[in-house]
Amino acid sequence: MDQALALTALIFIVTYGLIATDRIDKTIAALLGGTAVVVVGIIDQEEAFGAIDLNVIFLLAGMMTLAAILRRTGFFQWLAIRSAKLAGGQPYRLLIVMSIVAAVLSAFLDNVTTVVLLAPVTLYLARVLRVSPVPFLVSQILASNIGGTATLIGDPPNILIGSAAGLGFLEFLVNMGPIALAILIVFILATRVLFARDMEVHDDVREAVLALDEREVLTDARLLRISLIVIGATIVGFLVATPLGLEAGTIALLGAAVLLLLSGLDVESVLREVEWPTLFFFVGLFMLVEAVVHVGIIDSLADALLDLTGGDPTVTTIGLLWLSGVASAIIDNIPYTATMIPVVQRMGAAGLPLEPLWWSLALGACLGGNATIVGASANVVVANMAGRAGHPIGFRAFLRYGLVVAVVSLVMSSVYLYGRYLI
Amino acid sequence: MSGQIRLARHTPVSACQSLLEIEPLVVHRDDDLLVVMRQAAAQPETRLIGIVDEAGVLVGVLPIVRVAESVIGRVVPEALLSDIEDADDVARFGHAIEARTAGEAMIPPASISPEATIDEAFRLMHARQLSGLYVVDTNDRPTGYLDMLELAIRYVEAIEADSSPRPG
Repeated sequence: MDQALALTALIFIVTYGLIATDRIDKTIAALLGGTAVVVVGIIDQEEAFGAIDLNVIFLLAGMMTLAAILRRTGFFQWLAIRSAKLAGGQPYRLLIVMSIVAAVLSAFLDNVTTVVLLAPVTLYLARVLRVSPVPFLVSQILASNIGGTATLIGDPPNILIGSAAGLGFLEFLVNMGPIALAILIVFILATRVLFARDMEVHDDVREAVLALDEREVLTDARLLRISLIVIGATIVGFLVATPLGLEAGTIALLGAAVLLLLSGLDVESVLREVEWPTLFFFVGLFMLVEAVVHVGIIDSLADALLDLTGGDPTVTTIGLLWLSGVASAIIDNIPYTATMIPVVQRMGAAGLPLEPLWWSLALGACLGGNATIVGASANVVVANMAGRAGHPIGFRAFLRYGLVVAVVSLVMSSVYLYGRYLI
Repeated sequence: MSGQIRLARHTPVSACQSLLEIEPLVVHRDDDLLVVMRQAAAQPETRLIGIVDEAGVLVGVLPIVRVAESVIGRVVPEALLSDIEDADDVARFGHAIEARTAGEAMIPPASISPEATIDEAFRLMHARQLSGLYVVDTNDRPTGYLDMLELAIRYVEAIEADSSPRPG
């Protein structure tokens, strides 16, 4: 057993090292790690495949399909132009409105899709204003990660936690929604300090904004109407899923199937836009983490953490929040969450109240991603895209804003967790 | 593959580049895009603009569609916004609306020597998704322009020669 433990630890460390350092594609690393534990006989195929949480995979696949169809309609660009017009000729107000839009959309749709498709209008307006688009893009990323924290479907760590803990959409909304909203409000207030000095007020903006015609970017008004109705119905479905004895994965797949049917689009071309690498990344991680649980590493890790906190619920919950926040700022929050879920389950089995621990893990994993440019997928994708468009967002430039927002978010989360669950 | 078509594949670029007498359109990297657009409009048969530095060395190329996108994007960005679906599209859009000079809009140079074969030229055009190439000397200075249509014409001639009835 010791040999199996050492081998599993080695495979785990090498895999996570490869993911963290980006030496090879993270999906390949996860699949290599996940299959290696089967090949060397730590767990058998049945155990490995049985560990793949299909509720998570199908929830993600369903939501990706819905987003893939919606983005064909020009909706995001339409919404960005409408928001810009709402903000009128004030660059700072534009920053706030676009950030709120990013946060709200990210609560229901994939963060990356949201920020990427809001970005072109941002780039255009910044060009007209003759100001850097970087503060606008950074504020949208930060707001998007905050908004994604609010719901079950807003961020992959929440999907993982919800499925493992049996927490539904409504539970997430009720428990994570208030703190996400509070953090968003504080963030919006803080933008005055964080970004205002980069905002040069320019008279040209009103004219440029008003000159944009949002109707021109809508490519298919019928498809947009259908998409919004089906996505709305899917969200209602998430709300009523638990009382009906259904899980979110079924609801998302049903929504995707209905929209595919009603849209009349070529199924193959839509499904090609599903992020298959992300889904296979999850598959590999589930297999690998199952082996780590199997050999007892997770039990040891949980026991060590409990020793460290003395088994005190308050210290453990707040400690987990900050540990998750720091870890997610440095490494991908998806493998981190996948690993910590069985740790939390073990802590629950040891007698600690589980609910605050789940919210602590979710808040830390989602909000910690705001601290650095590599902390979340949306950060990485937008930084890369902005660089190619001629506006590089450097590590330190992002850190200047991101670290402040992440620390304030975690402090607020600590107070929230303590006040609501631990007194 | 018949003899005529095999021979056609090995036709040197120098024997093909003047078939349609399409002149190169060479501008400097600091030239204003609006001026470049006017020059391109005066010479519509050249679909790929060559960008040179002060020494006359080819430093980039500019497909005419990119110039048009940059100019149109300034006036009606909605026309470009509606097609955006992913991060690559956004980066291209951002690049298009930012560019004010030929150097800012250009992409890496696409050139070939006059001694190369048209088979090699087609492979390069296909890989870079370009409709033409700049023919350059040993110092990378443009000496001519080869359009994909000129390649195609050479192959048409070969196919026709191959299918024509043979004497006897």
